[in-house]
Amino acid sequence: MTATTHRGILWFLVPSMLVLACVLLYPLCYALYLSLFDYYLAGDGPVFIGLGNYIDLLGEGRFWGALSNTLIIVLAGVALEFSLGLALALGLYRLKLGAHALMVLLFIPHIITPVVAALFLRWIFVGQWGLIDATALSFGVLTPDWLGSPFWAKVTVIIADTWKFAPFMMLVLYAGLQSLNTSVLEAATVDGAHGWRMLTDIILPLLRPLVLFVLAIRIMDAFRFFDTIYVMTGGGPGTATETLTLYTYAVGFARLEVGKASALGVLTLVIVAGLVAATIGFLYRREKGQF
Amino acid sequence: MRWLRQFGLLALLSAATLVMLIPVIWAVLTSLKNPVDAFTIPPTLIFKPTLQYHYEIWFEKGFWTFLVNSLIIVFFTIVISVPIGTMAAYALSRIQTRQTRTLLFGLLAVRMFPHMLLALPFFVVARFLHLFDTYLVMVLALVAINQPFTIWLMRSFFVDVPIELDEAARMDGCTLWQTFIRIIVPVVRPGVVVTSLFSFLLAYNEFLFALVLTGTRTKTLPVAISEYGGEDITYWSLSAAGAVGIMLPILIFMIFAQRHLIRGLTFGAVKG
Repeated sequence: MTATTHRGILWFLVPSMLVLACVLLYPLCYALYLSLFDYYLAGDGPVFIGLGNYIDLLGEGRFWGALSNTLIIVLAGVALEFSLGLALALGLYRLKLGAHALMVLLFIPHIITPVVAALFLRWIFVGQWGLIDATALSFGVLTPDWLGSPFWAKVTVIIADTWKFAPFMMLVLYAGLQSLNTSVLEAATVDGAHGWRMLTDIILPLLRPLVLFVLAIRIMDAFRFFDTIYVMTGGGPGTATETLTLYTYAVGFARLEVGKASALGVLTLVIVAGLVAATIGFLYRREKGQF
Repeated sequence: MRWLRQFGLLALLSAATLVMLIPVIWAVLTSLKNPVDAFTIPPTLIFKPTLQYHYEIWFEKGFWTFLVNSLIIVFFTIVISVPIGTMAAYALSRIQTRQTRTLLFGLLAVRMFPHMLLALPFFVVARFLHLFDTYLVMVLALVAINQPFTIWLMRSFFVDVPIELDEAARMDGCTLWQTFIRIIVPVVRPGVVVTSLFSFLLAYNEFLFALVLTGTRTKTLPVAISEYGGEDITYWSLSAAGAVGIMLPILIFMIFAQRHLIRGLTFGAVKG
């Protein structure tokens, strides 16, 4: 294209960039700015305290608790989702009839409104009347307190995350499998690769860019994991399932300490960015110069 | 032998699908039950279904007003977000320099931001400007968080359109804008439809911003149902009816978007 066209076409960017600047960039900078203040929204104006909020947070047990809850839930959740998603994708890939119909059905948990999905799961796990308890009780089997004990509440939340996101992994990996060159797979079969070895030595390396992509996306999303926990446990019992997002919500919107909550948000962003960079770095280096 | 294997695989995957769908099926059944059937041990599959609670939640308990709120917010989000995102995507597909690449990856990085970090300043500013509990602030917030997605997805459709088409149109005397509106956009119309569908999904499902930015006047369906069904199980049939009703538009969405799910959910990065 000519230079004038080039310049003319830049005008097409203006509306979108204006919106992004006013509604995304400006609030972000404002949050950064707020994080340097002691600011109780229902009280006096902001008081500048420099890095005070950050220092407070890093010395706080509840912050580290929320961080470790987040990491436990993210890592366990993502590992389970990936395994289950891969198993389903491989199954569907082999299936010759009905794969599309099953895939669409399997995808329903992922696509329904997160709050609604969380309620559906709550009604499965809720004590005494939930589907699991009501069934188990009629056989005289005692069940753990799914939502009420600190340990089992974590397990339930991880199951919930897996239920919601395994279909996403399945869908992307299934698309990846279909894009593979079948002659490569056939050649590998002739060379004696079967089952597990076929998966770990041939299929997964071929899918590496895609695996990297879904893992990065899921780690980013998992740090925003809010709706499900908010509805299922509210972060409880106590703070057993309180993630960084829920803690930020509690500080910012329940206690109205917006300065400290902003600092918490910034810390979360730094952690996510670090983790995503580490994931990409780790998978990238294993095969020099290529994903 | 091969057929036996296929059959076994089909049975296994069908069973897995059934297990995954149990929570959904269970909620649908509960929404059709009278409390006397809902609270039984063991849970019963045989009961006389009733639509009474669906009627009650949407009309007598006023859930239709939350539906109206949701639809207004979703509608304006789409009609603002998709056109401006489409324009930006077109520019970014036609100019490929280091700056535009940086911009594209910057947009992708926005996806990383915890929504909480945006919700906080939004909340503070909205209170200052007396915009709290208005449609405007929700629409603005949703347009902003949808922009990166819209731009990436639309761009993946534009890059499939050969630049020779633009050049031919320019040769025939079209201005840049005419080229875009009359020639290029009609070619990517399926992309616009898919992008709109997914923008609908994102806006309709959004919870965090709605939770902190809406009040009694503009409350959306996800917030309403979270308040209704979260704690008290005595209204079980009612809240199940509400939740199932909220799910229905999404099932309809699935029918339209099933072939585009992969592309739509991966920012257009994976073309399924």
